[in-house]
Amino acid sequence: MMIHDFAAFSAVREAGLAKLLPSRPRIAVGMGTCGSGNGAEAVYSAFASKIDASGLAVQLAPVGCFGFCAEEPLVNVWVPGRPLLMLHQVQPNHVDNILNGLGQLPPAEIVLCKIEEWDHLTGHVKYGSGYPDVPNWNEIPFFNGQVKIVLRNCGLINPDDIEEYIAVGGYQALYKVLIDQNPAGVIEQIKASKLRGRGGAGYLTGNKWEFLAKAAGPEKYLVCNADEGDPGAYMNRNEIESDPHALLEGMMIAGYVTGAAKGIIYVRAEYPLAVLRLERAIEQARAYGVLGHNVLGRGFDFDIEMVEGAGAFVCGEETALIASLEDECGRPRPRPPFPAQKGLYGKPTNINNVETWYNVAPIVSKGPAWFTEIGSAKSAGTKVFSLVGKVHSTGLVEMPLGTPLAKFIYDIGEGGTNGRDIKAVQTGGPSGGCIPVEMFDTPVDYETLAQLGSIMGSGGMVVMDEDNCMVDVARYFIEFTHSESCGKCVPCRVGLDKALRMLNGFTLGKATHEDIEALDELCRMVRDTSLCGLGQSAPNPVLTSLRHFRHEFEDHIVAKRCRAGVCEDLALSPCENSCPLHMNIPRFLQLYKEERLEDAFLSVILDNPLPASTGRVCQHPCDNRCRRAAVDESVNMRDVHRQIADEVLLTDKFDPMVEKVLARRLEPTGHEIAVVGAGPTGLACAYYLALLGHSVTVYESRPQAGGMLRYALPEYRLPKKVLDKEIELIERLGVKFQFNVTVGEGPGLNELANQHDAVFLAIGTWKEGWVYLPGTELTGVIPALPFLEAVSRNEQVPVGKNVVVIGGGNAAIDSARTARRLGADVTIVYRRERKDMPAIPEEILAAEHEGAKLLYLAAPHRITGDKNGQVRAIEAVRTKPGEFDTSGRRRPVPTDEVIRIECDTVILAVGEKVDPDFCKASGLKVKEAGTIEVDRYTLETSRDSFYAGGDLITGASNVSNAMGIGKKAARNIDKRLMGQDRFASLIPDFEYQMEPPETPSDFGRHVPGEMPAAQRVQSYAEVSLGLTALAAMEETTRCLRCDVRGSER
Amino acid sequence: MDKAKIGTCWLDGCSGCHMSLLDLDEGIVAVLEKADIVFGPLVDAQEWPEGVDVAVIEGAVSSQDDLKLAKIARVRSKVVVALGDCAVTGNVPSMRNGIPTRKLLERVYVEGATERPGTERPGVPTDGVPALLKQAQPLHSAIKVDVHVPGCPPKPSAILFVLSELLEGREPDLGSKLRFG
Amino acid sequence: MTDKVKVRIDGEVIAATAGQTILEVARAHDKYIPALCYMEGLSAVGACRLCMVEVSGVARLLPACTTPVQEGLAVATTSPQIQSYRKMVIELLLVERNHVCAVCVSSGHCELQTLAQDHGVTHVRYPYNYPRLSVDTTHPRYVLDHNRCVLCSRCVRTCAEIEGAHVWDIAGRGIHSRLVSELQRPWGEATSCTSCGKCVQACPTGAMAEKGWGVEEMTKQRAGVSRLTSMREGQ
Repeated sequence: MMIHDFAAFSAVREAGLAKLLPSRPRIAVGMGTCGSGNGAEAVYSAFASKIDASGLAVQLAPVGCFGFCAEEPLVNVWVPGRPLLMLHQVQPNHVDNILNGLGQLPPAEIVLCKIEEWDHLTGHVKYGSGYPDVPNWNEIPFFNGQVKIVLRNCGLINPDDIEEYIAVGGYQALYKVLIDQNPAGVIEQIKASKLRGRGGAGYLTGNKWEFLAKAAGPEKYLVCNADEGDPGAYMNRNEIESDPHALLEGMMIAGYVTGAAKGIIYVRAEYPLAVLRLERAIEQARAYGVLGHNVLGRGFDFDIEMVEGAGAFVCGEETALIASLEDECGRPRPRPPFPAQKGLYGKPTNINNVETWYNVAPIVSKGPAWFTEIGSAKSAGTKVFSLVGKVHSTGLVEMPLGTPLAKFIYDIGEGGTNGRDIKAVQTGGPSGGCIPVEMFDTPVDYETLAQLGSIMGSGGMVVMDEDNCMVDVARYFIEFTHSESCGKCVPCRVGLDKALRMLNGFTLGKATHEDIEALDELCRMVRDTSLCGLGQSAPNPVLTSLRHFRHEFEDHIVAKRCRAGVCEDLALSPCENSCPLHMNIPRFLQLYKEERLEDAFLSVILDNPLPASTGRVCQHPCDNRCRRAAVDESVNMRDVHRQIADEVLLTDKFDPMVEKVLARRLEPTGHEIAVVGAGPTGLACAYYLALLGHSVTVYESRPQAGGMLRYALPEYRLPKKVLDKEIELIERLGVKFQFNVTVGEGPGLNELANQHDAVFLAIGTWKEGWVYLPGTELTGVIPALPFLEAVSRNEQVPVGKNVVVIGGGNAAIDSARTARRLGADVTIVYRRERKDMPAIPEEILAAEHEGAKLLYLAAPHRITGDKNGQVRAIEAVRTKPGEFDTSGRRRPVPTDEVIRIECDTVILAVGEKVDPDFCKASGLKVKEAGTIEVDRYTLETSRDSFYAGGDLITGASNVSNAMGIGKKAARNIDKRLMGQDRFASLIPDFEYQMEPPETPSDFGRHVPGEMPAAQRVQSYAEVSLGLTALAAMEETTRCLRCDVRGSER
Repeated sequence: MDKAKIGTCWLDGCSGCHMSLLDLDEGIVAVLEKADIVFGPLVDAQEWPEGVDVAVIEGAVSSQDDLKLAKIARVRSKVVVALGDCAVTGNVPSMRNGIPTRKLLERVYVEGATERPGTERPGVPTDGVPALLKQAQPLHSAIKVDVHVPGCPPKPSAILFVLSELLEGREPDLGSKLRFG
Repeated sequence: MTDKVKVRIDGEVIAATAGQTILEVARAHDKYIPALCYMEGLSAVGACRLCMVEVSGVARLLPACTTPVQEGLAVATTSPQIQSYRKMVIELLLVERNHVCAVCVSSGHCELQTLAQDHGVTHVRYPYNYPRLSVDTTHPRYVLDHNRCVLCSRCVRTCAEIEGAHVWDIAGRGIHSRLVSELQRPWGEATSCTSCGKCVQACPTGAMAEKGWGVEEMTKQRAGVSRLTSMREGQ
């Protein structure tokens, strides 16, 4: 149907509306590439065959994508008079349910949100009202705050039907422009809107158009750059797939006002669906008289041709794109001359990115003032970003420019996947940079991102968490640009090749400090001297990583360590890499599997002197990294090494095994070393120094060794007879203990220095943290650590009937469970959400089972007492989750609601601190936080032959981290005294099978049995019953042996 | 005043640089007034001595022996001079670097050898010859080099200039004397 | 049509014609700006990036070979930063392929070698690539040694723009770019080649040479190639 006048235009519009809002229900399936990839085709055909078979009066249509990629396939269901219901993760087996229950709500798990009316900007659609329990689309976190200008039609109209586009106001802006016949006025409008190029460079679109309009001659070209090639960016693909006509309309308006008669869309051939939909749209537009000769009967000729690019990334650069259009090699050309002067075939040419064209019609319809209201002063309007990577909710997000990064990542994206900590976000793809989490308050606009060394680019936003190695990320992007470099100019061609080789050196642990400087210098040179944007921006990922994550590069050089465990050559296996003690976990699993208990124990004890204790209380970071989790669940490594340890320590195998450990001890060196503090850090250090042949004395202010393990961990988690055995082994290795000696009060540091060749300070965090709230002076308010210590010493503890514990860490949970065992009713009050609690999740659950009540989002603000000064109640303010802080958790914001809990005892478990007086008095250099300053890699303090570790340098931490530092200290002290690294010589050559299992065993994860909760609260007997020997054996067979590598890679 | 000590050695090169060194003509007299040559192909010493002031090294690092000698020279000398293109760039010895070592040796010792009746079948020698490194590398990729004097060979005047400057305690700047090939 | 403009190069005021590039003006007045891919008489491509200069008021460095002069333009032909970047470009070219001066016909007459010497490149700080590259000896009179090619594309432009044969082009991309004759056909079999030899004369290194010369013996007549263009323009 050719549209030659307004009547015809209106008729088409009515026809479109009848499809969009028919008199019968309409079901639309999101059929973008993302939807199809998630099974939308099957859903669509299930609907089609069911409707066919049943003869239901339902209209079925394909639409594009509404942007929520994580929830595909998306399906819209509309029943006349009711809101549009958006369903998510729809499978073919939902189809019957949906069709049979039209007008009612489908199963809750597939209902995402509803849309009552929609502003297409060029038009308005009212769907209807109802479904009060279903949230509106913008009440869903992922959509909240999104402003859909570019994506105004995506996922709502059928992209293959020009009538539906016209129904929502499409081609009206073009019609208006053709009727008004005021090209200069339109250019003024675009200029006034401050629309900037969405391809990344951000030139003012209006200025570019004006330039082209003024260029002489009849032959000029408009080009749409749809050569989207950034890894992780796919907004242009979705825009074309979902709403191709909006692109055509934008180009045609520009054609009219700049005097160009020809438009060319350069689209990547790797986007077959976009190519197909664009082809159909161009055909339809021609058939309806919207495109081609005498557009809309207004005497304007304009045609659009589509050219498929072969997929070279560099062809996104405008001069290379032009070369490619001219059938030349896609290599950039020098500018000047600029395309606006001499572009395609030497004629004036204007190139805009896909997304820029989508903004044209709304600006023409609604005016520039409306547009500049949105976004920031220098960057008006919105930008579509593809939010991908290690973020909970992924998809296409259209936000006003100037929105802070944190909003994207924590509000829209809902934070990290599986609660992991986010480390950085990479914007702008291979041309952009990495922005660290500390800078997430950065507003996303052209200028601010550039200041940080990144760019907006086409809008890729890749989120990185602690599992991403920033060195590897930089290497990945350079590998990409290196292989996409056209090779024309020397800096990009050879410079990137050299940069890639250097970065490979880092990931192999073969780089030096000089390499950091050389890499930095080389990257600056490539940036400053390359011919085109590809080379000029390719070094950005490296330069920003060097700026914000230099410590990760240093880790790869000095410690030969990749914290994220990505650089495989630097780690044995993911579990080993994540273990603070770097236990060779696959080895002990395999030895136990081979029924070699003695070897397995030796392997464990030489890696970790307190294997039975850590086997019970470790935070088990290994679990989070285990690759078995991809099959079913992670291997229960912690409980296996507990089992191995228990089988030796608690049986008659103990004495003979002690002899075997003693046999590993190196020749006496004659060096005397002092260790201050007999906590996990000090014990680990003393143990290894003794094994290395040194004479070690441990000074401890308390009467027994073990530190927090003995005095803070309750008996029901860690029976002291287990700890006693471990300490006995350390003593039998020759470590001397001096108890009840407080360094500082007794011997001073100088005295220790005179008597020893090295001193290691490993004092824990016994200074209890204190919240400043009224009422802490009342009787019945007790800090957690002294409480736990008193219980562990079997002292009488004054605990009343109703106890409130304030805090969310392990000490809070331990206090609560201990108080339950003392017969009290217990409530834990925590100011954030449950998922934010730092305590081990299993422990929180156990506390609940034992009857402790948990009150989240409640910030205590005062404790009230009676006239005798005894605690009577605690008042807490209900909080609600607010903005995200740099820890990636929501800051609790107080509300007006006050909760009052009657109680007689309040236990404060709000964190422990290092004693600042000791640190100050030590004369050692102290950091701002009050902890002692040490070299990150050697643990040396500012004073010669003094080392410090544990909580003294990190603040309060956990057992395994503390021991890991003790182990590292021993290694460095020995290295310093002996002039070589002798650590490896402690480990015998265990020969064991080095082949991975052909198929992973079928066993599920074995979980140790537990005493029933009702029995538990009656005694201090150990709660966890451990694995049985058989279960432990079965568990070892689940290991996938990530430590085994191909022989020749 | 004690005379300075100069050591020279010849790794994977053609000895042309040492020839150029001998070509200093009367310049050598000026050098020997200030320094003794204590090690090198021109001297009888068996081992690189301690306390050398200037090490002058010709040739690329091609074999395990080259690597060992270069490292010894480095730790026992104050200043190391890479003499000639082979030491500076790898030059002709590095032309083998694109070819795997095994193939190279077979080409030379097996395919390239003439079989003579009555003698053993030719093979790659393993005894008495140092193992080849994967690639012949310039000296500075193996040890820290302080002064580079390219040239194939470097002109005697360039060598004389560098030695004189070093013996005067100055850092030599070759300037217009810099020349490759 | 020839607008005269005044520009300042390293402080000296120079009269130039609008439309001339910075490099053309500088060379006409004996101001040294190094370049490898630029050759008088050929179109400028801005590929080697040796001619980067500072232009006052512009934050970025600009290539002198493709930046036209305009009234009041002030250029600094060098600076410590530019000097260090030029040195790096030369080093990168030296490590990219196998440049062994000692066995090269062009040694002593090689532009790359001269650039290295003029810029104080005593050695190269980056590891060498040592690629395995072929030598095309199929042409009866000339030889192409990829080991010595710097991909300046002077031969490509000479053949396309002056001889009009377009035998040469560059295939592949990035570090894998290679000079090819007639869609990868050996040079000797390239039917479009007129054997005029101008590409050989334009080549800045020993990558293209006449057969029969020994080390250091091949000198090239670049000026002759450039003159052809200026004579044609004069017609």
